[in-house]
Amino acid sequence: MQASRARLFKEYKEVQREKTADPDIQLACDDSNIFKWTALIKGPSETPYEGGVFQLAFAVPEQYPLQPPQVRFLTKIFHPNVHFKTGEICLDILKNAWSPAWTLQSVCRAIIALMAHPEPDSPLNCDSGNLLRSGDIRGFQSMAKMYTRLAAMPKKG
Amino acid sequence: MHIVEILTWGSQKQNKEKNNLKHKREKWTTGEESIEGRTTRQTRIKDSGCGRSSGRESAKPRRRKSQKKGRVGSFLHKTSDRQHRERRVFVAAAAMDSEDYMYDSDAEETTYDDDDLYYYSDKEEENIAVGDDDDESRRNKKAKQSYIVLKESDIQQRQENDITEVSNVLSISKAAATVLLLNYNWRACDVQDEWFADEERIRKKVGLFEKPVFLLPNKLGKVELTCSICYENVRVSMMGWVSCGHPFCRECWEKYVSVAIEDGVGCLTLRCPEHRCNAVVDRDSIDLFAKKEDKERYLQYLIRSYIESNKRYKWCPGADCEYTVEFCEGGDDECYDVCCHCNNGFCWNCMDDAHRPVDCETVAKWQLKNSSEAENTAWLLVNTKPCPKCGKAIEKNQGCMHMTCRKPCGHEFCWMCLGTWKEHGERTGGFYACNTFQKNEAEGKYNEDEDIRKRAEKHLEKYTHYYERWAGNESSRKQAVKDLKQMQNDYMVRLSDLRGATDAELKFITDAWLQIIECRRVLKWTYAYGYYLPEDGDKKEKSKKGFFEYLQGEAESNLERLHHCIEKDIHNYLNKERPEEEFKNFRAKLSSLTTVTGNYFENLVKALENGLEDTSSQEACSSQEASSKIKSRTSKKGRKDYG
Repeated sequence: MQASRARLFKEYKEVQREKTADPDIQLACDDSNIFKWTALIKGPSETPYEGGVFQLAFAVPEQYPLQPPQVRFLTKIFHPNVHFKTGEICLDILKNAWSPAWTLQSVCRAIIALMAHPEPDSPLNCDSGNLLRSGDIRGFQSMAKMYTRLAAMPKKG
Repeated sequence: MHIVEILTWGSQKQNKEKNNLKHKREKWTTGEESIEGRTTRQTRIKDSGCGRSSGRESAKPRRRKSQKKGRVGSFLHKTSDRQHRERRVFVAAAAMDSEDYMYDSDAEETTYDDDDLYYYSDKEEENIAVGDDDDESRRNKKAKQSYIVLKESDIQQRQENDITEVSNVLSISKAAATVLLLNYNWRACDVQDEWFADEERIRKKVGLFEKPVFLLPNKLGKVELTCSICYENVRVSMMGWVSCGHPFCRECWEKYVSVAIEDGVGCLTLRCPEHRCNAVVDRDSIDLFAKKEDKERYLQYLIRSYIESNKRYKWCPGADCEYTVEFCEGGDDECYDVCCHCNNGFCWNCMDDAHRPVDCETVAKWQLKNSSEAENTAWLLVNTKPCPKCGKAIEKNQGCMHMTCRKPCGHEFCWMCLGTWKEHGERTGGFYACNTFQKNEAEGKYNEDEDIRKRAEKHLEKYTHYYERWAGNESSRKQAVKDLKQMQNDYMVRLSDLRGATDAELKFITDAWLQIIECRRVLKWTYAYGYYLPEDGDKKEKSKKGFFEYLQGEAESNLERLHHCIEKDIHNYLNKERPEEEFKNFRAKLSSLTTVTGNYFENLVKALENGLEDTSSQEACSSQEASSKIKSRTSKKGRKDYG
């Protein structure tokens, strides 16, 4: 069996076994393709994303885990390090700081951490970055909260 | 010939300082015995306790000696009466002021100790040599070399020496020494200084752990651990680790290393696969884990890094050429032309084709001009920006403005303004519509391209004229290279069989072709030079242009004669039996055409390298006289020689 497939299969088993281990992350493999995954992550508490559920899409390369998976937000999110239109994520571990010891699960955890601690110094979303860098925390939070409500929360009624 | 002599004389004073230097170098050469250049270098390197650089510096003058020695000796003997006579004639003709004249006449009686005198004689020898003695001129050309062409094995040897030295001095493994050298651009001195200043810090920085941070269970062998790459349980005996101790299975190691090597030169500073572990994967580990072909590629990268981080080495840019060239600064003034063993001539300074006598700046301008419409360049200009540190073209295909150049450069910069990223924190005001960019635009810096385009349109006609000739000579040169190959592979054999001539006897044909190739190259570049020569300047500028065109014309017409002679006339001797006498004449004609053409080009090159100075009205007159003399003389000679 292909090494990447074997490893993904192991991760799949692990996810099945410990479904409840991390209530913030629901990782699921595409029914027909083990190289496509989706995840639902809960917005961390005490952030403008609290209460939202965000969907991530993983595209795993053939060389995985020697090369990082490509991850993007499917749910619209207002965050300095996430592209507002494409959902692309600027995170070092998904680029040059990738280590094969990471798993899809741990990537999700890293993304949750990024949501709680944005890095406005290398922004993909300039508006969001500029709000934070100019010290307008309130402005940033209300924008982020608004988009969380608009896009990441189940519509009532 | 006279023209050159006058120019030499005129520039003599200006060059005084250079000459002094030159003389000092020569002095090195006279006293010592001849030792093979390379062996000297290597023993030297070993001897010098600390520091490759210091060792090599000191080796330099010695090496020059082995090249120049013959020249000094031969010069002292060969200053024949004829040369004395010629010099006197020339001094009189040039009508120099009395002081200079005295100086010179003094010199003729005394020995050749004086700095200036030495230079003068040296230079004169060149001129004389250019005259008729072919051997002499070749020796001079050789003596001018300020570079060595090295095989890959030579480089490997030097690299190995450096590694061994560091490994011995620091008492560490060779692999560790390699890691250190890689981190300090292969400067052994820096490595040693830093290491002895703070070993612990350096170990941490480069990732050489003294003790493993991950402790393996005591009972090895049958114990199984989970490899955190493939998640399989593997026996410890089937696992591997670097200085940090994080175990991974051999299979994963092999793939991990393979992917990194595939990815490029960054594999030289590969780290342990464990998350945020800084331990370096050194050469020994690569040897242990990698596949054979990956190991070979790794070694290639290692050599590449050695050459690229050392300013004295450069790859020959020729296609499929494996040689490296070492250039010694302080060689012949501003002559950067290098000829590799693969017969590819290139300029050390700008890495373009060899372009003596035209300077690098002109060549760059010219090349840019030529390619301004090429799709490639247009695409590069539109879609890429050069890394502000290493200059490699970078295409931005995604992500934020925070760019990080590929390893080993790793420079972080802003895509918008190309400023370093460090300045993009709070200090720029923290807004991402990068303000530096707008400032530039407001100042109109970006209008430069527009200006260039307008000028290009205006001068299009002029440009076409020069470009056609430039390109024509280039294609002619390429054809000549092909013809030479055909000549060597086919015609020479036939000729040799037909005439019963030895290879040495037929060498004049190869010489002629080589001369043609060289001349086409020079001629090509003179057209780039001509294009940039100011057109409507004052009287002096105009006379310069006139002088240039005169020299160029003379050189070109001679080259055409030579090229025609070898291309057409040679066929007469390939098939039919021609009388021996006729072939002899052909040989005489071709050899002398080769020499004469060579001289014309030498003159042209020297004149251009002097920036066509010395063409003030008076001298221009005398040079015209002189050249008309040459003309009559060569044509006389021509008639005599060519029968």
